[in-house]
Amino acid sequence: MALSSEEWGAAADGGGVSAAALDGVTVLDLTAHIAGPYATKLLADLGARVIKIERPGGDSARALGPWLHDEPGPERSGSWQFLNTNKQSIVLDLKTPAGREVLERLLPRVDIAVVGHTPAVAERLRTTPEALREVADVNVLSLTNFGWSGPYRDYALSETALYAMGGEMFSHGLAGREPLKLGGVASLIQCGAMAAIAALGAVHATEVHGIAQRVDVSLFDVQLNSIDRRSSAILAWRFSGRVNARPEAAGPSTAGGLAGVFPCADGYVELTASAGPYWRRFAEMIGHPEFGAPPWTDPAWLATPEARAEIDVVLYPWLLERTRAQIWAAARGVHAILAPLFTATDLYGDPVFHERGLWEQVEHETLGAFPLLGRPYLLSETPWAVRRAAPRLGQDTTAILAELGYDRVSIDELLRTGAAA
Amino acid sequence: MSGKLPLEGIRICDFTCVWAGQSATMYLADLGADCIKVENPYVWNPATRAAAPVLPAPVAAVLPPWMAGHPNGDPGPRPWNNSPAFIHVIRNKRSFTVDSRRPEGLAIVKRLIAVSDVLAENLARGTLEKLGLDDAVIRAVRPDIVILHLPAYGRTGAYVEGRGYGAHIDGVAGSTILRGYRDSAPGTNVQTFAGDFFVGMHGAVATLAALRHRRRTGRGQVVELAQAECSASMFPQAALDGAWNGRAAGSLGNRSSEGFAPNGVFAARGDEQWLALSCRSDAEWAALVDFLGRPAWAAAPALAMAEGRRAAEDAIEAELAAWIAPRDRDELFRDLQEAGVTAGPVLSARDAAEDPHARQSAAWRRLDATADYPATEFPAPPFTFSHSDVGLRTPPALFGEHNEYVYRELLGVSDEEYARLAADGHIATTYAPEVLGR
Repeated sequence: MALSSEEWGAAADGGGVSAAALDGVTVLDLTAHIAGPYATKLLADLGARVIKIERPGGDSARALGPWLHDEPGPERSGSWQFLNTNKQSIVLDLKTPAGREVLERLLPRVDIAVVGHTPAVAERLRTTPEALREVADVNVLSLTNFGWSGPYRDYALSETALYAMGGEMFSHGLAGREPLKLGGVASLIQCGAMAAIAALGAVHATEVHGIAQRVDVSLFDVQLNSIDRRSSAILAWRFSGRVNARPEAAGPSTAGGLAGVFPCADGYVELTASAGPYWRRFAEMIGHPEFGAPPWTDPAWLATPEARAEIDVVLYPWLLERTRAQIWAAARGVHAILAPLFTATDLYGDPVFHERGLWEQVEHETLGAFPLLGRPYLLSETPWAVRRAAPRLGQDTTAILAELGYDRVSIDELLRTGAAA
Repeated sequence: MSGKLPLEGIRICDFTCVWAGQSATMYLADLGADCIKVENPYVWNPATRAAAPVLPAPVAAVLPPWMAGHPNGDPGPRPWNNSPAFIHVIRNKRSFTVDSRRPEGLAIVKRLIAVSDVLAENLARGTLEKLGLDDAVIRAVRPDIVILHLPAYGRTGAYVEGRGYGAHIDGVAGSTILRGYRDSAPGTNVQTFAGDFFVGMHGAVATLAALRHRRRTGRGQVVELAQAECSASMFPQAALDGAWNGRAAGSLGNRSSEGFAPNGVFAARGDEQWLALSCRSDAEWAALVDFLGRPAWAAAPALAMAEGRRAAEDAIEAELAAWIAPRDRDELFRDLQEAGVTAGPVLSARDAAEDPHARQSAAWRRLDATADYPATEFPAPPFTFSHSDVGLRTPPALFGEHNEYVYRELLGVSDEEYARLAADGHIATTYAPEVLGR
């Protein structure tokens, strides 16, 4: 093959100060839609080279909004642009022998393949962990709905069905009404983050111990065993026989005090003022320190309807005369436990988050510049960076084929037959 | 299994609290790091080991189950060792106690830092500095350390003094406004904590990346993860619709932000039996129509495409609700899935514990009984490696359980010094009387 290890940035190159933390790590990305691409995005944004194999026609995320300036198009998708920063795109039809051969030439050159195929698809395409590890002794992370065995193995999931089964949907919402999902596609993105941990764990094991291995993550299991109150609720059931359920009403759920969402002049705030120091800070925040003195120091009094009525006549006018910004500033001044409910436009318009750099200005070859929700963390020595916008469909097909040693004639043949695009 | 763990040989000096911080170090401990939880017998960290240090059974009974469903409803004398809310994030870790506010305690902490590769913390702003442990001091003790800070809103900017738990940070990140019933104001929203573990996962990812850089260059670094900023990444579509199109989305209820229609949660036969159903494509809708027996309302050509179904979503939901209501949730789930329609039962905590697939596949491991809880199926890491044993290796660390290990083995404290530190209250397996109100 025509490639030198430098060109491929082989993981074992050792030494030298690198600009990015994952410099030299190469990831083969066989995921699509949301969960898998979020995992590989985290790796790409930290400096890994992520080669994404797109099916002919492209990743389904390209068909998901929002659209840049409300104008649809496969490159204009916000879902696509967010989830695929810093990646390369090669379009391969893995059902063709020639497309398969490209995959097999790629595999020995990567540190890890991240595969989001369902068991049925993987068996059809020969992309099961066993099949891929027969080609090369590299890490293969399989991200499935329900794992590789068990009664639900071949079942489908949507974000909603995933949160229903794996997550703590049952206790979200109000008693007597239907349980509620989270906003957007949060439960899928959470699973992607977990897969990134596992992928990096595997890369560490390779670099430190010289082992390449199979790694399995299932969406169902990630939700069951981590997110929000789910592990706690299941453990509580096992311990006590109590089932976490939807409350009769929103509001204080603990013995005494206030907790929940309250209206104000320009929206809502989330407030927790439970008995103790939080209650005293709350009393100070609303300018009524006398509420911090007896009988208000007694949680039993705080839990009475009389106490609530007495507080409400002071609290509601105080809130409704003030904006979220004013209220949050007052809360921060006394360390009260309160925060505003932000909408997307609030988040984008917020000067503090802008100043901190939450929004990244991305340059795209054909779309021009646009803002993108940026770094989830700041690393002092190896900065997170968008070095390249999400790739156009097949943007890197030809270059990668050339790197793999295909000559002009064979590349043209791959493109002509549709094995690559 | 070769038994070689990815983070074998990496030690974490762990000052984290609540879920966000404790889950970050948990994932690293799962991968094999020797995670030493630094605890103080004189300081009760809220929402870190239990709802409260003293928790009589009648009080626990009125708190939500996830927070206070202790064994047999009775937290007993040590709620911090058997809280369902928190002990699961202390798996695979060790616990040692020291009063770091006193000079000799701080000296012990510094000795631990000197043999640590990572220091992680999400204490209220200024807490570590007050102890005399700012970044410069930490790096003077251990120059190549990776420091992980997980502040709520960052270490710079106007929001640094903001205080909150997961529910509040979710509010700023845009989570709360995007959920709830479509016909109700956000004021009816109950608290969720979607961001806590999400933040923890990112803390682990950033630390893994920093450790790799350190291995290759010998250089540590400081990671700052502002929880609200990180949590915003759970809702990129909404955020970008705001940035690109000026749209401030509200809640869609149980409808799909991906344009799937129908997409909802419906009551099935019986008490609290709910079924989630999504048609993720026109093909899935066609499969559903067949499954329903091709009734006239469903077979209407206008509904064959998603756009047509979205226009008729109210009517479709009403028809489906009526059709699902008399039917058995679990049968319908299996039958719909076999027919090619995406569906899933809303599993309560009990349902999840008893679910036939989860019992077979979920990463639960049986823990032996301790003085504080009975033998229990316990959550383990939700990933498996074919060669490295990244599972649940050691049960949640009891308070002060590893004092001997840390003081004697790790720090080489002499018998005499150990006895003195114990007599001075640094070394303990319970909280001090003032914390317990005794």
